[in-house]
Amino acid sequence: MATPTASATREWLQPSNRPEIIDTLISGVDRYNPSNVGILEDYLYHQTRTNEYDCLANLAILKLYQFNTVLYNADVVVNILLKALTATPSPDFNLCMALLSEKIPPSGDEADSEHDPATLLPILSTLSRHLQECQFPAFWRLYQDDSLAYLRENFTVEVLGFEDGIREVVVRAVKSTFTKIGVARLGSYLNLSGDALEDFINNVGWSLDANTGTVTIPPNPDNTVQPTIIRETITLPRKCFALVPMSPHSTVELSRLIAHAT
Amino acid sequence: MSQRANYYEQELDDADDLADVGLNLTIGNYGGLYEDAVPRIDEATLIAMQQHVAQQVALAQVPDVVKRFIIQFHQAILNNNLPEITACYENGWNRFTEQFYAKTEWPEAEIIAPLVNDNPVFLILYRELYYRHIYSRLAPNVDDRFHSYENSCELFNYLLNSEGPVQLTLPDQWLWDIIDEFIYQFQSFSQWRSKPKLKSEDELQMLASEAESSGGSQLWSCYSVLNVLYSLVQKSRINEYLIGVREGCSEIELVEIAGEYGSKPLYRMLGYFSLIGLLRVHVLLGDFTLALKVMENIELNQKAFFTKVTACHVATYYYVGFSYMALRRYNDAIRTFVSILNFIGRMRQYHTRSYQYDQINKTAERMYALFAICNCLSPSKLDDQILNNVKERYADQISKMSQPFTSNAFITPNPTTPITPGSPTAKASAASEALAAYSELFLFACPKFITANAPPYNDQDALTVYVNDPPEEPATRHLSLFLDDIRARAEVPTLRSYLKLYTSLDASKLAGFLEKDEEELVQLMMVMKSASRGVSRVNNEGTLLDGQMITTSDLDFVINDNMVHVVESVINRKYGGWFVRNTEHAQRVYDALKASPLPISKQTPAANAGSNTEDTKPITQDAKRTTNVPWNASTRKVEFNV
Repeated sequence: MATPTASATREWLQPSNRPEIIDTLISGVDRYNPSNVGILEDYLYHQTRTNEYDCLANLAILKLYQFNTVLYNADVVVNILLKALTATPSPDFNLCMALLSEKIPPSGDEADSEHDPATLLPILSTLSRHLQECQFPAFWRLYQDDSLAYLRENFTVEVLGFEDGIREVVVRAVKSTFTKIGVARLGSYLNLSGDALEDFINNVGWSLDANTGTVTIPPNPDNTVQPTIIRETITLPRKCFALVPMSPHSTVELSRLIAHAT
Repeated sequence: MSQRANYYEQELDDADDLADVGLNLTIGNYGGLYEDAVPRIDEATLIAMQQHVAQQVALAQVPDVVKRFIIQFHQAILNNNLPEITACYENGWNRFTEQFYAKTEWPEAEIIAPLVNDNPVFLILYRELYYRHIYSRLAPNVDDRFHSYENSCELFNYLLNSEGPVQLTLPDQWLWDIIDEFIYQFQSFSQWRSKPKLKSEDELQMLASEAESSGGSQLWSCYSVLNVLYSLVQKSRINEYLIGVREGCSEIELVEIAGEYGSKPLYRMLGYFSLIGLLRVHVLLGDFTLALKVMENIELNQKAFFTKVTACHVATYYYVGFSYMALRRYNDAIRTFVSILNFIGRMRQYHTRSYQYDQINKTAERMYALFAICNCLSPSKLDDQILNNVKERYADQISKMSQPFTSNAFITPNPTTPITPGSPTAKASAASEALAAYSELFLFACPKFITANAPPYNDQDALTVYVNDPPEEPATRHLSLFLDDIRARAEVPTLRSYLKLYTSLDASKLAGFLEKDEEELVQLMMVMKSASRGVSRVNNEGTLLDGQMITTSDLDFVINDNMVHVVESVINRKYGGWFVRNTEHAQRVYDALKASPLPISKQTPAANAGSNTEDTKPITQDAKRTTNVPWNASTRKVEFNV
């Protein structure tokens, strides 16, 4: 865990395993050079193979696509969006969508429009919305629907740890909301059951009580709630009070005032 | 480094080529008709002479005061006399605009050229003002749009590609206006360009031939605009300079760091303003992370450089605040808006004449609207004064935005979302009202988003397709992304209002209140939990993109199996602000009393005496008393104490 003073966005801004060359590339003006798109795309595929994630580098790809529509590669875009889905509830998915502004050039073979990666974008948006609204069972239902076979067989299968990435999203939401959760419910969120579910629960350090069928989630800052009272503290400079009696003139004034009042 | 510089110079050269296109073409035509060369030259001379005469006639029509002003302006720039230049720029120009050119263009640069010995630098600066006047007061036509771009290129070429730094001094305000106007014209051109339907034949022709030019269209392209801004940033070494300032380098070290260009105020300020310009361009293109990234060396506080120019100060906060909103960092957005709106409020009393004042006021209104949105999404009690101002302006929208509505009422294109049967129509209309209010404020207050690319003007068929099936407007697209965020949180206020009533309750019972099944409710609770956490920059640590996870809501809860436990943080009343406001108020009352003339008339003692008895007291006196309650109350209190 990060120390309290460390920035929570540090890893997002500059992942520790981002190569030097990518870092220099995206922090300088070279990020606008269309001939660098290959380097960034290779890095994206590296991310999909190694289960790393670098949102800012991926946004740099989309930026190049925005300026140079000829570079647009729908496969790359789908992969970027899949990676962004695993970052929910961070706004990554929408940040990517904001750059996919321009009209997407139609792909060459129109007969295969059903399998056109571009038609996947609305589906990905729906998936994102389910995650956003914590409708995890609905997410899995849609994800495993027959109509999305193309997405699974051609894309998510290539993204190492995609489903586990989504489970991470679930874990984040669950562990901040619950101290105990029914195992059946958790299973439906994670799309796991039986031994796989038990293994998963053990791996994240939660404990399953088989008798009651509940999973206990250890305390963390988000699921330990306590009432607080916030008080305003105003410190007044004490100097001005101290000075008053020290001046003989004002002491006289003060005593005269008191005499007058009484 | 040098390679990079070459890359840019090349780009700028391309821009030059473009400016030359017309010229090459004419020369080509002459070449083809070599036989006729002699009579044609005569004709050309004739035309030249006629033009000369026409120019002289036009010059004669320019009022003498304006002529004198131009000569004086030119002299001030020749002498690098900053106070004089500032006076001409801020007063003279605006005064003569009001007097002679409120509804027409200033004389063209060619006409006044004889007055300034055809000084090219002055003429470039003059054209900069000339086009800016057209854009702000009149409607620029296609020629103006093309030529203003060419003039901007000439200006930046002169600044960046002369031998060494140029010997020119301009007021900060003007330097900011140059960058600001450059981006404004870019934005304006992009919007104008994106509507092929409304173009005349001539305009279509020009845009088509422009798109055909070598290396694709350069005119007002994103690349050319970014090139200018990044080149200014690099040439002035402003980032290195700002890091130096932050690390506390001495003056001498700073001069060294800034180098030949950056040590000159002209380049340093241009570099600095270019960073703000980049912030703006990135926001216009929808790249909010990059927008905040370019600001990483600029600290947002009252001591920063940008405060030297009020318009720049306001623009910076507006775009930073909006970027935070797009990153769902509503608390940071609120803090940004509060800070600048307070500043504008204080400034208002000193600063009313400036021609930029209207613009600043408009931006302030938009920021109040954005504040209203953010505050509905993440209620905060940061500043009562601003909150009151917002409520005054947008009370109607706020009440619509904060009324509970259900996200199921939306007709989603997705068939897998279960639509609750018989969801009450009242809720549906509340939902559409709330969404309408959010949309209204968003569209009013958002930046003028642009698309990066032009419609295919050089391809007639593609253009027809484009006209028949235009892409979504950029603002509409950003709005729909924003509304996605809102929909996810739609029911949080309803849930919150129920939770506030309990310390613990059963999830199924709560589900019953909301007319939902328990599963839906639990999902909603998770949404509420994530909505109550957000990244926020604490104590201004790190760059603008840094931040820590904080709790943004005063209501927190946890679910233990099926039991919901609720806790609330209580914020005690803030006395400090209350006392400050009332002390200020008392001071104003006291000052007003001191300033008013002594009561001499005979009625006064009677009125004073009468104030004890209700009947004889004049109504005005009564009204005055009630408004001065704190003052009266405090005096009475003192009496009691004594």
